[in-house]
Amino acid sequence: MTKKILRNEAFQSLFASLICIVLGVLIGYIVLLFINPTGAGEAIMEVLKNFLHYSKTNLQIKNFGNTLVKTAPLLMCSLSILFAYKVGLFNIGAAGQYCVGICASIYCAVALGLGWLPCLIIAAVCGALYGAIVGLLKSYCNVNEVISGIMLNWIALYTTNMILNTVKESTSPYTFHLNTHGEQAMLPGLGMDKIFAGNQYVTLALPLAVLTAVLIYVVLEKTKFGYELKATGYNKNAAKYCGMAEKRNIIVTLMISGAIAALGASFMYLTDYEQWSCTSSAVPAMGFNGIAAAFLGGLNPIGTIFSSYFIQHITNGGAYVDKTVYCSQISDLISAIIIYLCGFVFFIKYTMNNILDKQEEKQALKAKEAAETQEGGDK
Amino acid sequence: MENQYAIEMLHITKKFPGIIANDDVTIQLKKGEIHALLGENGAGKSTLMSVLFGLYQAEEGIIKKDGKEVQIKDPNDANALGIGMVHQHFKLVECFTVLDNIIMGVEPNKFGFLQKKEAREKVLELSEKYGLHIDPDAYIEDITVGMQQRTEILKMLYRENEILIFDEPTAVLTPQEIEELMQIMKNLAKEGKSILFISHKLNEIKAVADRCSVLRKGKYIGTVDTKDTTIEELSAMMVGHNVNLHVQKEESTPGEVILDIENMTVASKMHKNNAVKNVSLKVHRGEVVCIAGIDGNGQTEFVYGLTGLEPLVNGKITLCGEDITKAPIRKRLLSGMSHIPEDRHKHGLVLDYPLDYNCVLQRYFEPEFTDKFGFLRKANIRKYAEKLIEQYDVRSGQGPITMARSMSGGNQQKAIVAREIDKNPELLIAVQPTRGLDVGAIEYIHKQIVAQRDAGKAVLLVSLELEEVMDVSDRILVMYEGEIVGELNPKTTTEDELGLYMAGAKRDEVKA
Amino acid sequence: MLLLIQYTLIFASVLALVALGGCFAEHSGVINLGLEGIMVIGALGGALMMRYAPDGIGAFPLIMLVIIAAIVFGVFYSSLLGVACINFKANQTIVGTALNMLGTAAATVIVKAINTAANPDDVSSTIQYVDEKKSFLVNIGGFEFNWFMLIAALGVVAAYVILYKTKFGLRLMACGEHPQAADSVGINVYKMRWAGVLISGLFGGLGGICYILSGVSEWKFENGVAGFGFLALAVMIFGQWKPTRIAMAALIFGFFRALSNVFFGFPFLVALNIPGSIYNMMPYVICLIVLAFTSKKSRAPKAEGIPYDKGQR
Repeated sequence: MTKKILRNEAFQSLFASLICIVLGVLIGYIVLLFINPTGAGEAIMEVLKNFLHYSKTNLQIKNFGNTLVKTAPLLMCSLSILFAYKVGLFNIGAAGQYCVGICASIYCAVALGLGWLPCLIIAAVCGALYGAIVGLLKSYCNVNEVISGIMLNWIALYTTNMILNTVKESTSPYTFHLNTHGEQAMLPGLGMDKIFAGNQYVTLALPLAVLTAVLIYVVLEKTKFGYELKATGYNKNAAKYCGMAEKRNIIVTLMISGAIAALGASFMYLTDYEQWSCTSSAVPAMGFNGIAAAFLGGLNPIGTIFSSYFIQHITNGGAYVDKTVYCSQISDLISAIIIYLCGFVFFIKYTMNNILDKQEEKQALKAKEAAETQEGGDK
Repeated sequence: MENQYAIEMLHITKKFPGIIANDDVTIQLKKGEIHALLGENGAGKSTLMSVLFGLYQAEEGIIKKDGKEVQIKDPNDANALGIGMVHQHFKLVECFTVLDNIIMGVEPNKFGFLQKKEAREKVLELSEKYGLHIDPDAYIEDITVGMQQRTEILKMLYRENEILIFDEPTAVLTPQEIEELMQIMKNLAKEGKSILFISHKLNEIKAVADRCSVLRKGKYIGTVDTKDTTIEELSAMMVGHNVNLHVQKEESTPGEVILDIENMTVASKMHKNNAVKNVSLKVHRGEVVCIAGIDGNGQTEFVYGLTGLEPLVNGKITLCGEDITKAPIRKRLLSGMSHIPEDRHKHGLVLDYPLDYNCVLQRYFEPEFTDKFGFLRKANIRKYAEKLIEQYDVRSGQGPITMARSMSGGNQQKAIVAREIDKNPELLIAVQPTRGLDVGAIEYIHKQIVAQRDAGKAVLLVSLELEEVMDVSDRILVMYEGEIVGELNPKTTTEDELGLYMAGAKRDEVKA
Repeated sequence: MLLLIQYTLIFASVLALVALGGCFAEHSGVINLGLEGIMVIGALGGALMMRYAPDGIGAFPLIMLVIIAAIVFGVFYSSLLGVACINFKANQTIVGTALNMLGTAAATVIVKAINTAANPDDVSSTIQYVDEKKSFLVNIGGFEFNWFMLIAALGVVAAYVILYKTKFGLRLMACGEHPQAADSVGINVYKMRWAGVLISGLFGGLGGICYILSGVSEWKFENGVAGFGFLALAVMIFGQWKPTRIAMAALIFGFFRALSNVFFGFPFLVALNIPGSIYNMMPYVICLIVLAFTSKKSRAPKAEGIPYDKGQR
């Protein structure tokens, strides 16, 4: 019975992810030890505790809410990457599509004064179009999607800086607050702020993100479209052979992927939790952290919900380390190590199966020997 | 007594997960002889040679060179012992020159810098001595298969190997090139080289080998002197029982034209010339038309053009009276075309999908398998797969949910054949449908092809195997360098005549 | 004008060095998407050496020490790619991406730790090297010659000779084109791929230190290297994996990158009144366009990106 569980693909993914997490945290701890041994244990605990840092329940819940607010966009980014990866594409351009989403959301909200629903839709469309560029370059010009994605990330960054420059206060690099300049575009809270101790940033975004994850799971596992996409991802040539529109599928996939990433940006910036700095010199890390979450979640949309939360949990937790000794980027370091270790997941599963095979072989041999000796005894 | 053996492999056992590739196999190679190793596909010949060449390590058994036990851990050890090998799939770097390929691994150098001049002299000297004509500065991708094989042979001679292994060397050659190779092998043996010649082609073994060892399903069957043994006896040793390789079939009764190709031209991915030049042919209802030819004469591109995997440069294709020249692949498949692809792993299957998903690869979008909201009807897919498995005897570990990857090659191919035939096509295109399969599966697939013909379908068979061409087809079209150079009747022609056409030595103006 | 040439040459040097790194890795059969991270770590090595090198040791020893430090860091860091992709057959795209993220994160953590340890109020990730930088420059009539320009030129020549004239180069390229063939003549594919990856670490590290010495005299490690690792990959593709063509491609890309730095020095460009962001985007846009036209018929090493498995030959 336990064998069956150990052989189970889903269990193996979970097990491998846990190994990655444990090792990642352990290496993070070792790094902290090197920096300063006396407070290292405490610091790593702060990272893991995150909002539990506070002793008052009220503050705990409020800060839990803050982590959730940032989990929603992260989940969207990792879904974006996961979806493209199922078709065999590594959409590192999710970071740029996220950036385009920011640009569209804020511009529509502040400059055009649109409501939240049009803002979401326009952001999704812009993200989809931006994703389509990668798709077109890939399917018609054979451009590696990783390189074109990176180039488009930078282009998105500078474009966003340029466009949002028109909707910011003259004295600061940050764009206007929505609650003063675009209240109509703020996502409805659905009364969730009350549950989260008055945290007004917890909004519709959260359930929408989870819903997206479920939706993607259904599309991939239950529909004809998912059947085609996965077939293309597993074997491009076979997909072509049986008449699937391979190029179209690549482009559509990247469009959906781009739309999801851009929506993720709306989920963050239409809560007014953060504003865009028009002097930014790098695309937001959200898109890259999405890679970590997608792989840590075993490339399963449902698993991704949990892995996204975990990554965001430690990222937020980084803020609580003692800054006079350590720095908050220790969380980024841990996430990066976790992605690196995710590269070994295939090897971990392979080793597990190998060990199981060997055990089974041994047992079979023993059973055989036992049977033989019994036979001998009978004679 | 002086040892008469150059190499002895004694009681070799090599296991892979799930199978025993070699089970207590012993072969002894005399100095200066040509020793054939005979066996069907999958009998363990290549594995045994890989053990000798150091690519695999045997679990049990020993190898002796000149009577002394030796350890061969990697190809370097083999090379040091004077063992060289021409692999079935050439191990040549395509964008390197002939010379670079020959010296690779034993480069003459000063302080790491290549000294190609002396290497070139040595290569030219060797090619002179053994009659292996090559251009040392040509790039591998530009030269013919025969020349590539000569490069491989020179690679061994350059290393001064004494024991030469030829792994299925004739598979890719024309009958005339085979003749030439046989002569070269005899020359080499005369010069004192000992040769191991792996093959499953009985006439070749009979023609060139002194002795022959036979393997069957990984087991050693025996060694015989070829001059005292008949082809029938060898064949019986190889397959275990006397099989009738001939396919029983009735006279064909061709009906109306199903497929009409006019002046088809397809570009090549390998070079600037067109791979298929101005080919015209017709296939009628109720006949098997076979495209014969040596590998690489445009057959692959021809099929790609016909099935829509590659666009045409020129020409027109009509299927059942409908012009499908520019039709997308899906349209062609829906108009009654079925395609058993040349490469089952590249095109035929999604290896990471279970068998039932693979069974509906061509039909998943039909209402039976997808409802009107775009959701898959998984129960129906499962049921359909079970039907195919039952009807076509596809064997797999867990039935419809078995991953295609974990199935044997023969059963993978059966699944594809089942899928393509069950579509009830008007035209069945079968490209090398029996490649790499055992006799039982080959027989089965040939029967299915003939049954399709008898059911009034048009069948277009593309094959490299002369026997298959002669047995199964009703009409043979020979393709040479992208052109149809002859139309032959399998009842009246001979394998020799066919060979001349395939080699481009003979051609007719054909209007098929 | 002189400034434009100067910046073009220095950026071209960075791109050429890093692209050569990518070129060696790919010729051995490993796609190195982690060049960006390797650059950051190489830069970190060099910057730390500049910080800790004793004062007044003279220009030449300082240059040598900095270069050695950058190389050591780059090579060491690239071994993370080697272990994962060669020995454990990990997905090269994931590992490369992880290395990029890890490079910036690790460099930030390390520099911040050092800064904070020296001065508890200093929580920046910046290292300054105003004086040390001068050692790398030679002023020739207003033109600031940087020794790295020479190093890059030597790198191109060396790469050409190694790839096409030596035994090592022949074997390396065989591993990227047809590893089974290389294996069958007794070449150790794993060793050659390791060599390719480590050499790419060497060039990547050099490129990294060259990059942070190209303009300013302090570097904030949180910023990484602005996609230069990926631009270098584009240069490599445009250069068709050949050292000489890579040098040409690097000059073209370097020019557009330089333009964004110095466009305000040209009155007619300023008069066009184009926002600075457009110039900033320029290299990336050009890169995309170039890739769109050159990727279709690219002659990448055939076996690149495919982990080599001895069992499958």
